[in-house]
Amino acid sequence: MTTFLSSSFMHNIFGGLAQGVIYSLVALSLVIIWQSTHVLNFAQGAMAMFATYIGMTEIDRGVGYWWCVIISVVVGMALGGATERVLIRPLYGKPEINPIVVMVGFLGVLEALAAAIWTSTTRNITEPFSQIYFQSNGHLVFLSSFVIFQILLAIGIMLFMAGLFRFTKLGLQLRASALAPEVSRLLGVRVSRMLTIGWILSAGVGAIAAVIIASGSFGLFPTNMDGIFVAGFIAAAVGGLESPIGAVAGGLTIGLAEQFILAYWSPNVAPLGGIIILVIALMIRPQGLFTKNSSRRV
Amino acid sequence: MLKGRLRRSITLLSVSALTLGIATTGLIVGSASAASTPGVTASSITIGASVPLSGIAASYASVSASANAVFKFINAKGGINGRKIRYIRLDDCYDLASYGLGCTAGTSVTTLSQNQVLVAQDHVFATVGSLGTAAQESVKSYLKQNGVPQLFVNSGSSAWDAPRNYPNLFGFQASYQAEGKIFAKYIKAHYAGKTVGFIGQNDDFGANGFLGLKDGGLSISTANHLSYNAADAITGSSSDIQTDVGTLAANGVQVVVLDSVPGFTSGILSVAKALSYSPKWIISSVGSDPTSVNNVGEANAITLDSWPSVTNNSDPWIPWLRKVLLADKTDFPSFTKTSIITGNELYGAGYAVAFAEALKAEGRNVTRGGFIQKLKSMTLDTPAITPLRYSATNHQGLMGGALATITPNGTKPPVKATESNTTVYSTGNSKGSPITSTKKLDVTPIPSWLK
Amino acid sequence: MNWWTSLSKQDTTHERLLGVLLLTLLTLAITFVLPPVADSQLAGGAAIAIVILGLSWLTGWSGQISLGNSGFMAVGAYAAGIWAHHHSTTPLIFTFVLAVVVGGFSGLIVAIPSTRLRGPYLAGMTLAFSAAVTPLAQNFTSVTGGEGGIFMNSLVTPKWFTHFFSGQNAAISANAQWTADLAIVTAGVAFFFMANLFHSRSGRAMRLVRDNDVAAELMGVNLARTRSMAFVVSAAFAGLGGALYSLLEASVRPETFPLTLSITLLTLMVLGGIGTLSGAVIGGIIYSFSANLVAHVNSLTGVNPTSNLGANMQGIIFGVLLILTMLFAPRGLVSLTNPIRRLLRARPHRATANEVD
Repeated sequence: MTTFLSSSFMHNIFGGLAQGVIYSLVALSLVIIWQSTHVLNFAQGAMAMFATYIGMTEIDRGVGYWWCVIISVVVGMALGGATERVLIRPLYGKPEINPIVVMVGFLGVLEALAAAIWTSTTRNITEPFSQIYFQSNGHLVFLSSFVIFQILLAIGIMLFMAGLFRFTKLGLQLRASALAPEVSRLLGVRVSRMLTIGWILSAGVGAIAAVIIASGSFGLFPTNMDGIFVAGFIAAAVGGLESPIGAVAGGLTIGLAEQFILAYWSPNVAPLGGIIILVIALMIRPQGLFTKNSSRRV
Repeated sequence: MLKGRLRRSITLLSVSALTLGIATTGLIVGSASAASTPGVTASSITIGASVPLSGIAASYASVSASANAVFKFINAKGGINGRKIRYIRLDDCYDLASYGLGCTAGTSVTTLSQNQVLVAQDHVFATVGSLGTAAQESVKSYLKQNGVPQLFVNSGSSAWDAPRNYPNLFGFQASYQAEGKIFAKYIKAHYAGKTVGFIGQNDDFGANGFLGLKDGGLSISTANHLSYNAADAITGSSSDIQTDVGTLAANGVQVVVLDSVPGFTSGILSVAKALSYSPKWIISSVGSDPTSVNNVGEANAITLDSWPSVTNNSDPWIPWLRKVLLADKTDFPSFTKTSIITGNELYGAGYAVAFAEALKAEGRNVTRGGFIQKLKSMTLDTPAITPLRYSATNHQGLMGGALATITPNGTKPPVKATESNTTVYSTGNSKGSPITSTKKLDVTPIPSWLK
Repeated sequence: MNWWTSLSKQDTTHERLLGVLLLTLLTLAITFVLPPVADSQLAGGAAIAIVILGLSWLTGWSGQISLGNSGFMAVGAYAAGIWAHHHSTTPLIFTFVLAVVVGGFSGLIVAIPSTRLRGPYLAGMTLAFSAAVTPLAQNFTSVTGGEGGIFMNSLVTPKWFTHFFSGQNAAISANAQWTADLAIVTAGVAFFFMANLFHSRSGRAMRLVRDNDVAAELMGVNLARTRSMAFVVSAAFAGLGGALYSLLEASVRPETFPLTLSITLLTLMVLGGIGTLSGAVIGGIIYSFSANLVAHVNSLTGVNPTSNLGANMQGIIFGVLLILTMLFAPRGLVSLTNPIRRLLRARPHRATANEVD
């Protein structure tokens, strides 16, 4: 058993899952925003990073790790809501390139501002769980307490979101506002409020992903979410921006693909995992693999 | 139609005339007086360097700061042949300004753009002690084209040893390959029969270091020849380290050679400690600064050192450098009589002294060509424990060093070699052959005008 | 104002040629007056302007958003670099043509999976492409020189040009200026081609496809082919710009064309004005002198340039500028002068094929 667990195959499975759940979280947050407001939030990673800075730097003042996590998530959610109100709302009805460009600008501002306030030196947050791989009988099993925490937390959040959307009244209202805004309005749903809430939830999910990344060996620095955002975006596109399940599946797939490419081809080429899967997926189904609607035909 | 064509012709003619006028004015205004050596005036000589003053490699800022301190010391004594040395240090963040990572030079700064400022705006006589392999490779063509000597490049690449193509380009430290060969010789002599492993950066540094080990006759199996991603060094990720160290530990490797930068050296040592793995560590001079090693409390790691032990006060250069650094309150404000001198500071002082000596030997009539000639014909007296000698066929610089133990000592981390019983290795060229050794440290006296 | 308005109407190839020629001559004249460091900065801006031009064609005229142009730049740059490495005495023209061809070809490759995609999916595909460039360049070391990259020799200034300069620093000034002038002339040629494209039948077809693809298809326009050609042209321009850029830097490395450069290109294009020649010029100028601009702002506001705030001013300023531009002047900064321009016109405003609506 231990030899199986410490085999290089399992090494790659564990590594791929650990990274994949992060991508799934980011992909999920992008899907939530897309479903509610049809905007691609390019600043998703940067917003989460900024919130993490605000929360995690409190550790220097003696605040406990878990409180800092809560602060980061709350700040992230507030930032998400504020962004929707101030930057996105004026752009409804305008060409679709406009909000993309605005969010790209916002991304630049957030990263530069973070570097200006907290410097761009990498910070390593004292992790709550050990990152040293387990050893059994002298063999390394490529799992650490931190990695297990990472996977469990991410899965927990995804299940929470799924439950929220499916089983609660709020979730029903959110879905209705996204699918049929006019009808929902007639039925008394405060649609504009739902849009803001969509952004708030999305930002919260993103913040959790950023907190995990910052606490790990990757560290916290202003551009740390850039690569993660690209992979998360690709995951969302692969799964289809309409489908949360697709986003999660996409994220896991890309995480695994990257890990296996890293192991069997070369570490340099690992980022290509997502791209290869994207090309294949979009050639099969341009609207994403999990989207239910068919493509527009005239 | 004709009217349109006439109008167009007039427009074209007038704009062309305007253009010619502006161009001519620009040329006339831009011309200066009689030709002379750039950077040299009656009372001063201006040199420059592009070095990482902030960002990922900011720990190397003290190298050029120390050189600057030496120049200030010389200026206080009246300069060289009546000229004061003006040393302009521009921050290029290791040519990675766009990565951020603590860089305060501005995101559009590159090594090339800073060297353009040095050459085209500050009109430096030469660049002295610029740092970084990739950074300096990216500007060597530009500097060559504009006739600016590129001196004492702070990097262990053997790219600086190309006298035929780049006659005005000179390195300063022993090459990574030569270091590897010296390590190999040492390991074969003292650790014969033990398994050897290697963790190196996956770029020029690690590749050449490993080549040196192989050339030196060490056999390292493919399973034990590991690397970490150089780009990871920039972003702070360390997932490779656990895998690399774990593999070596699992394979029971007894001697490990590290070609890693300081941050990664300490990362590797901490992971090994957590895994209770303690082979004999042999660490490249690049990443063996005592702080990185001592943080982990690693005892008895070995490195190659071209400089004297900083606790050896019978070496005249040590108290001399202390005097120089104490006098520089601007760049070394917290340096006291009991502060520890670091390897960086010795390095900077080394090339500053070499520059000053060659300049002095040229006398009052300073030209670039004359200076280069002096450089290649003199033996330069520097604090290093091996001689610094360039020639028509060798532009590498220092050719070796002694193997020294890095001792952890709380906050006092000197590199300690038992001076009286030390073997100093020298190599004949930048590829590392042949290796000669002597039991004598090259302790040169300090020139009287420098005391 | 008559001769100026007639010039900007550019209804025939001759007038376009004249316009571009004048702009080029004027810019060349300016290089004689600027100090050498500024000349080098201007040269870089010229290369970027060429790339922005291509991006404008793709995003402005065919409505396809692309974040992949830094990737196309890299393709052109590596093509030029690899060729220069093995054949160092090739005339510059040949290297540029090579970069255009290879760049265009890579545009075709990206276009194949991309033409069926819309909006975010297209952005994602192009994003993935430019994100792939750095890892690919790092990995195929035997071809691309890996992490170290390829170093090229600086451009050689011909003797006859150096004769115009005298004095202590003649060589340096001559070198800097020759490089800048070369870059500007190359940009001029590129601008001339693009000006013709804007007014060609392809240009009109592309705008139709952008605005109403159903109508276009009914009229017999091949959607996929039109969209693909837009990618090919855009990539060709980006390849040329990338090759020029790396020749100016005398090196091409995996880090030279990161994903963030694609974002910068987008930013500059938007600030200048999407889909216009003047937009590309403005974008290039902003790129050239952004550092000077930021230094000026720093000194005005009393911020220390080497402090954290000072060093990141550029990112903050450009991000804010981009957001404000998109919210209040989506046609680019030039469009802010529209009310003034309308006032200055003697006759009523006529919509022409020159303007993107």
